[in-house]
Amino acid sequence: MIEFSDVGLRYGNGPEILKDLTFAIEPGSFHFLTGPSGSGKTSLLRLLLLSLKPSRGRVTMFGEDVGNLDQDRLLQMRRHIGIVFQEFRLLDHLTTFENVALPLRVLGQPESEYRPNVTELLEWVGLGERMHALPTLLSGGEKQRAAIARAVIARPRILLADEPTGNVDPELSSRLVHLFAELNRTLGMTIILATHELPLLDRFPYPRMVLNKGELTIHD
Amino acid sequence: MIRQALSLLPRRGGAAPIVPEKSVAGRTLLLLITIMAFLSAVTLGGVMLVQKSAIAWSADVGRELTIQIRPVEGEVMDSNLRTAVSLAQSTPGVAGARALTLEESQALLAPWLGAGLDLSAIAIPRLIVVQLADPVEADIEQLQRNLQAVRGASLDTHAAWRQQLNTMAGTMVLSGLLVLSLIGVATVLAIIFATRGAMASNREIVDVLHFIGASNRFIAGEFQGRFLSIGLQGGLLGTVLAILFFALIGAAAGSVLPTEATAQVGVLFGQFLLGWDGIFGIALVIPVIAALTAITSRVTVRRYLSEAS
Repeated sequence: MIEFSDVGLRYGNGPEILKDLTFAIEPGSFHFLTGPSGSGKTSLLRLLLLSLKPSRGRVTMFGEDVGNLDQDRLLQMRRHIGIVFQEFRLLDHLTTFENVALPLRVLGQPESEYRPNVTELLEWVGLGERMHALPTLLSGGEKQRAAIARAVIARPRILLADEPTGNVDPELSSRLVHLFAELNRTLGMTIILATHELPLLDRFPYPRMVLNKGELTIHD
Repeated sequence: MIRQALSLLPRRGGAAPIVPEKSVAGRTLLLLITIMAFLSAVTLGGVMLVQKSAIAWSADVGRELTIQIRPVEGEVMDSNLRTAVSLAQSTPGVAGARALTLEESQALLAPWLGAGLDLSAIAIPRLIVVQLADPVEADIEQLQRNLQAVRGASLDTHAAWRQQLNTMAGTMVLSGLLVLSLIGVATVLAIIFATRGAMASNREIVDVLHFIGASNRFIAGEFQGRFLSIGLQGGLLGTVLAILFFALIGAAAGSVLPTEATAQVGVLFGQFLLGWDGIFGIALVIPVIAALTAITSRVTVRRYLSEAS
């Protein structure tokens, strides 16, 4: 599903942030992406989200070399990738329901069509009672569940999560990773979850992609 | 009421606008567009008033000719006056002709010679006012030829004065249109700056929309909808204020200014009455400003997004 071959990334004329990345991610797999701060986790996630192009090497996604794609095709491809951020990035002027429904609005679906799906998903993530609340009134855990619901509402094939447990307590962190695991198991989504919380990794049996000074090693 | 009317406008899918309706940039832009719409509507109204008055003046003056009889030694003025009046009345297309009395001539000369002067002792030119039934049908050349029989008679068709009047009115209309164009350019520039400001302050929304797979076209459409709404509100407010301004000026000209001043202002601008056609013309400012706002913001947003990506 995802293949990196000798990929390097640098910003402008600066030093290489990512060096010689070569790996493959199979469909329906779950990987942790870890490493110390500044090791390049977010840059790798941005490459996977197709919001950056590699400085060198080849990135293949869904069987296509992303370096040869035009803007329209990149946009089509990006719609198969969901993203969850540490800082949630919900729109504060929209209700939880409206935030979660955004990807479907962007796809042009009418509200009458997506309302049952959004409601069902919000109930599944435990926000059924909070769907009309604004994000400013939600707790950290509720915000992150809303952000996850927004990332998966359009049924992406890949789900990326950038430190999704960074702003919640350890117990809630564990519950959130369980939620990702459930999405991986029930919907077959390919998940790459970036975190630097090592105790959290020990509780789950998923392979780890470890970045250190821009170099990647994978531990099964 | 404006909000209620705007809520009836079609909106892209979903109930809540993705771009927040209330923001500092939005309020600033609304105020700016209201001012621009007011200035545009006032300028347009002024141009229409001048043009209407110029057409009315030209039509009035065009329906009248003046025959001047200069005193000539050996000629009897009263006899020449009667002959000229008779010649004028017999000309095709003439509704009537009348010689100004000595008192009327005295009144005309009073500003220069002073009042109470006995003009019977002075030989002064006399005037005959000729009213035309139809300026197009009137045979002015025949009247001109016939008047050659009256010594000291000359015909003034006011052509030169009308020409000057038309030139002046045309200059004012052109100046007004130039001012309108400048206001338009200033509005476009202000919208560009306001749009870029709004984009910068809503950067988070743009980023999130990009991350969830929104195209630049979708994002531009969302911002365009927001700016169209601001343009309509600003255009409506500015135009209504301009119509109130004209109503107020019309009322003030009739009640505050002294009678002579009112008369002079009335001669220059009519009665400050725009009429339904004038109000309709001014109301066109609303869709024009709204369209200008929507198109400018769309182009600016598309450029901004292209630069950002």
